[in-house]
Amino acid sequence: MRASIKSAVLPLGIAVVLGFAAIPARADDQADRQARWKDIEKSLFGDRVPQDGAAVVQLDAPVRADDASLVPMAITIAAKQPVKSLYLVIDDNPAPVAAHYTFGPAADPRAIKMRVRVNTYTNVHVVAEMQDGTLLETTKFVKASGGCSAPMGMSDEEAMKGMGDMRIKFAGDAVANKPVDATLMVRHPNFNGMQMNQVSRMYTPARYIQTIAVTDGDKKVFDLDTDISLASNPVISFAFVPTDKSQLKVAVTDSEKGHWEKSVPVPALSN
Amino acid sequence: MGKVRAGPGAQQLTIAMRHLAPLAAAFFLIAATPGKVPEPTDLWQGAMHGYTPNTVAGATVLDTAALSKLLVGVPPLMVDVAEADKKPAGMAATALWMPAHRSIPGATWLPGAGSGSSEASFVDAFEARFAALMGGDRSKPIVAFCHPECWGSWNAAKRLVGLGYTKVYWYPEGMEGWQAQHDTAIVKADPQWPVFGGKPVTQ
Repeated sequence: MRASIKSAVLPLGIAVVLGFAAIPARADDQADRQARWKDIEKSLFGDRVPQDGAAVVQLDAPVRADDASLVPMAITIAAKQPVKSLYLVIDDNPAPVAAHYTFGPAADPRAIKMRVRVNTYTNVHVVAEMQDGTLLETTKFVKASGGCSAPMGMSDEEAMKGMGDMRIKFAGDAVANKPVDATLMVRHPNFNGMQMNQVSRMYTPARYIQTIAVTDGDKKVFDLDTDISLASNPVISFAFVPTDKSQLKVAVTDSEKGHWEKSVPVPALSN
Repeated sequence: MGKVRAGPGAQQLTIAMRHLAPLAAAFFLIAATPGKVPEPTDLWQGAMHGYTPNTVAGATVLDTAALSKLLVGVPPLMVDVAEADKKPAGMAATALWMPAHRSIPGATWLPGAGSGSSEASFVDAFEARFAALMGGDRSKPIVAFCHPECWGSWNAAKRLVGLGYTKVYWYPEGMEGWQAQHDTAIVKADPQWPVFGGKPVTQ
């Protein structure tokens, strides 16, 4: 984030005077944002119109983000809801769909956490697609900007070191058929092509993660489709339902045909 | 598995960059001091994203409060010269690419008009478009802006002064400075403004 923005504070009096100048009233701004969401909705879902899903799906996001290139998003689903897939949409990002999770039989879709880049002050929508095709949505307004062009603060070579390395942590020992929380960390700069190298002053070529597939044995936990809105070195928290000999496998692909896999046994609680 | 492949060309480039590194670093140090960047005598030809001077000779610098006051009077021509988002290579065919350019409501968006280019096609297009937008009146106010720490709007203001416009304003805080206190609007690129190829000129 830029210091010049943070330090700019307008006296309230002037803001009030401005209310009737060339600046539209708040209602126009909301209509504009609503129109944008309608466009995205139509592109994503066609004639299917998402319903208010506040009772089922919740989004926790900061009102004002400290770092626009690492904005935490926490999605919570009410217990035992038959969610087939989840969309995380950052309305005003150029590629609005930050993440699309498709859950499999080994998933417990109650909680997903990840960090994203936010380009400008924007609405963020979460849409849960239920097994019966119903779409349920919720939204938050997030004040963050410049996340898409924020450089990583290191050389491109350094940022790409260890690309594809992964770690998976479990919240505790797994008990068969009881959901367990897991955190996946992937080393990847997720360059989006809009970041400028601070020394060479050249744009770093885009190279970003496109899919992350997590399976337990032959059962799918989730498939994630993502692209340039995913933060560098992504950290994704999720839950799954283990068996008595779970083996979690993660497969990651990126836009330059990079492919990485990691397989780890899930620490089981001995009976 | 997933190793970064560096061909011979890349290797030569790395070597060349190593030799240039001290020079680049020295330049970077000067350009990297906010508030201390001297005004170039002509249009800026370097990277568009970076610390800018505090002034543009012949133009008036506005902060958000001053711009707000200016907008209450005779509306100036608000010119956003930010570059359009470029679609990154390799996006999935199914991925949505829907860039939306947020700006100050009522602004005219001329993507890339902050270029320092001296090519006739650009120079002529710039002069002609502003003549049309201003109805040939060089005494009406114009505000140039893009993003913070962006030379594009500095260049645009400089070029307008050079064309004889007498009330040129530069708003260096740009769209991000504006949105911290005011509503923004999605604007479409000015249909009369030609699309110039090449690299993005702003962030």
